[in-house]
Amino acid sequence: MTTRESTDDRIALLQGTLDLLILKSLVFGPCHGQGIARAIQRQSEDVFLVEHGSLYVALQRLEERKWIRAEWGVSENNRKARFYSLTDAGREQLADKASQWRRLTRAVGLILDATQAEEG
Amino acid sequence: MFQRKRSAEDFSEEMQAHIELEAEELKREGLSDEEARRQARRKFGSVRREQERFYMQGRWLWLDKWLRDLKHALRSLVESPGFTITAIVTLALGVGANTAVFSVMHAVLLRSLPVADPDRVVYLRTTAPPNGTGTIETAETFSYADYDALRKQTGAMEALIAYVPLSASKVAVRIGTQPEEAEGDMVSGAFFSGLGVRLQRGRGFTEGDEKDHAPTAVISNDYWTRRFARNPGVLGTTLYVNGDGFTIIGVAARGFDGLEAGQSTDFWIPLQNRLELNAWGNPPQSGKTYMSDPTWWCLRLIGRLKPGITKAQAVEQLQPVFQEAAYTGLGRPAAGEKKPVLSLVDAKGFPGYAEMYGNPLRLLMGLVGLVLLIALTNVAMLLMARNATRQREFSMKLALGAGRGDLLRQLLTEGLLLASAGGMLAWFFAVYATRALGAWAQIESSLAPDDAVLCFTVGVLAVAVILFGAAPLRIALAGGPSLAIKTSAAVSGVDTGKTRIGRLIVALQMTVCVVLLVAAALLIRTLRDLENTPLGFNTDGLVVFDVKPDFHSLEQGREFYRELTDKLRGIPGVESVGLMMLRIGSGASDNNSLLVDGKLPVAPNGGSISIRNNVVGPEFFHTLGVPVLAGREFRDSDTASAPLVGMVNEEFALRFLHGENPLGHTFGPPNMPLKITIIGVVKDHKYRSIDEAPVPMAWYDYAQIPVIGRMSVEMRVHGEPLAVLPAARKAVQQMDPNLPLIEPMTQRAQYDLTISYQVLFARLAGFFGLLAVALVAAGLYGTLAYRVSRRTAEIGIRMAMGARRGQVVWMILKDSLMLTAIGVAAGVPLAMLVGRALASSLYGVTPLDGASYALAVLGVTCVALAASAWPARRAAGVEPLNALRTE
Repeated sequence: MTTRESTDDRIALLQGTLDLLILKSLVFGPCHGQGIARAIQRQSEDVFLVEHGSLYVALQRLEERKWIRAEWGVSENNRKARFYSLTDAGREQLADKASQWRRLTRAVGLILDATQAEEG
Repeated sequence: MFQRKRSAEDFSEEMQAHIELEAEELKREGLSDEEARRQARRKFGSVRREQERFYMQGRWLWLDKWLRDLKHALRSLVESPGFTITAIVTLALGVGANTAVFSVMHAVLLRSLPVADPDRVVYLRTTAPPNGTGTIETAETFSYADYDALRKQTGAMEALIAYVPLSASKVAVRIGTQPEEAEGDMVSGAFFSGLGVRLQRGRGFTEGDEKDHAPTAVISNDYWTRRFARNPGVLGTTLYVNGDGFTIIGVAARGFDGLEAGQSTDFWIPLQNRLELNAWGNPPQSGKTYMSDPTWWCLRLIGRLKPGITKAQAVEQLQPVFQEAAYTGLGRPAAGEKKPVLSLVDAKGFPGYAEMYGNPLRLLMGLVGLVLLIALTNVAMLLMARNATRQREFSMKLALGAGRGDLLRQLLTEGLLLASAGGMLAWFFAVYATRALGAWAQIESSLAPDDAVLCFTVGVLAVAVILFGAAPLRIALAGGPSLAIKTSAAVSGVDTGKTRIGRLIVALQMTVCVVLLVAAALLIRTLRDLENTPLGFNTDGLVVFDVKPDFHSLEQGREFYRELTDKLRGIPGVESVGLMMLRIGSGASDNNSLLVDGKLPVAPNGGSISIRNNVVGPEFFHTLGVPVLAGREFRDSDTASAPLVGMVNEEFALRFLHGENPLGHTFGPPNMPLKITIIGVVKDHKYRSIDEAPVPMAWYDYAQIPVIGRMSVEMRVHGEPLAVLPAARKAVQQMDPNLPLIEPMTQRAQYDLTISYQVLFARLAGFFGLLAVALVAAGLYGTLAYRVSRRTAEIGIRMAMGARRGQVVWMILKDSLMLTAIGVAAGVPLAMLVGRALASSLYGVTPLDGASYALAVLGVTCVALAASAWPARRAAGVEPLNALRTE
């Protein structure tokens, strides 16, 4: 039971980031879970290896918050798959979260750079 | 929009799609079909875990699981009501009996007084008081001079408090016009403040109240409830105690029964110095009360240590003062005399009760502990048997991926349910049992189970839960997941290791049962002996009560009793009336050495020369029905002006007059110029209690000796003895309207009180013995019945092979007789040990009493046979063909 709790902790830490990445990957059109995982992996140049458990928990959560919606459809190679697409609320959320993220990384970057300058 | 929650199937379909999509992609990247699938699956991890996570998401995992366990356990218990009820009742009896005995033991021996900060409260104790003094309890009572000197030492004690009852039993009180009796103590001014006992109404006493001997009283919550119906207007009411008025100024906090052992004090008054309110209700000795009599050590002392002061430090400070004060008014200690030594003990339990009830209670606790052992193992065995039949269910669960932890949790939950239900029932049982125990033991103070008792019970139940969870777990796990796929009943049946444990437990229970039965038999035989011990006279038709009138002169007292005797003799149905100063059968006695024929007698073989004496009136022995063997008994004509006459018993004549005819010899107290001529010898009879051996006795006539006070009146009547009391009360109140009949009862009841504690002990032991037998029988029956049901196939085969029904029955009976034999072999030596521990509580029976052991052995054998009869019959009834067909 403890291991499960600690896993939940880890998801909570990643939550914001993973949510953002999922929302972003859906900007270009509906996609299924496996496609989203692949897209994130590819676009991050294999830095992010999406853990599938977290992915589906996140998808579930986003769906419950009505930021994405899902429907069963057929993939390019005629496979039945569940396709997720952004809702209007999701688009708004993406814009918000993206700017939040940029502010955060800029601030972190400023601090890290300043330290480097002093040390250098 | 209403969104339906996604189904688990929908989710698992999505997982499946994911894996296939991934595999396809991998194949496109150049992997073989099979390899791609394998990698996709591996990358995804456990599908099942993801599904579970999906299910658990957003739920309070722990609570949910637990609730599910609880529901499951409840359902499975309800499905087998026979098992559930047996287990709960067994547990309730075992735990309840322990709770009840523990709460009595706790109250009597362990509990701190209900006062503030009890850790600093101590009783004062002493070694033997100086020569020439009289005492109530050698180790526990002190003279007023000691108290007065010690309380002036303020270095170690915050408060030093004296308390003493106004009567050895109850004291005459009056609130309106009707005389009543109540239990009252005289106490120091610091009694309530020093002990830290709150007053729920009004105020307590002050130092000033003690100094002025203020006519004020505080009543107990119990008395306020019982006598005044909790009327708030009670403050200001006048309470007359032996005729003196006291104004009620306060009501003590609920739960404070006073400091008298096993009694509940009704009221307290400040220490008084009046002849009619002497300590213990004694007549004053030569006009002196306890306050001015340094030879009478009659006060109990209790103190509160200052914070940070240890008992040893306090004793060090007080010892010299105490030893000096001990000789106040007594002169210098004799050469070689040991001075009394002061000590302090924690104020725990009732003072004086540890000596009297300590060992019996500890033994009783041991006995009920054994009962508990039987009860717990019984339930554990029931659970094991039950769960063995559920082995298939557990195997299935293990095969489906349940962890051992999950199984343990489920079993613990069942155990918890059983223990809580049993525990609640046990608590109710204990509350009533405790009340009954208190009534039997004549303990009036509150014995109600309190927090400490609750902790004890919960502790026992916690052990039970763990036992009930852990014991069947082994069995649950023993099958392992593989058992689920096996089908044969024979294959999934008993494994030998487990039955060995079951048999071991039954043998252990038999052992314990033998011990309990022997103890019970010894105590019950003791009781029978006591009840059948002849008293030396016939108690049928005898009724007794006390009166305590006020006298201003000796002559007035004698006149009062003479007149009372005449009045009582005149009541229709009264055959004869006798007076006595110390009531027979009350346990009280006056013992000292007397001069015989002018000198201290010499007893044969250096025995005791102490003589027990009593003061009685004319016709006393005639009233009792004790035969006068020689001479005559006291007559109305033996007055103060007539020659001084006395009587003795056979033992007196035998021990001090060496078989000579006692008539004409004299005896008398060594310190008074009284020479009393023996005019009669009576047959030995029981005087103080049923279990006493004959003692030399001497009797004075109350009309001839210079002491008079409270007396007991003995009446022999025709018909129902107690029916004469209203007429007797009327006769007494014609003489003095203030006088109640104190402690009226039949003489038989008075003697029965002297063995009340043996009665209690024997009844309890008998009850626990029976309980143990019943539990063992239930356990044995359960185990055997279960084993027979598991061996149905085997029995069927045996019978198909030609075994006769008789042989099958013998097979089952042999089994339980074997266990009984083991139990007896182990139990008898243990019982001998217990018997030796009981020796001090036995009367007329030796610890190795053969009949008791035979009874116990017979008892367990009968139980074993009775418990086996039904399973054996069922085994014999097995139809070989049916048994084999179920395979």
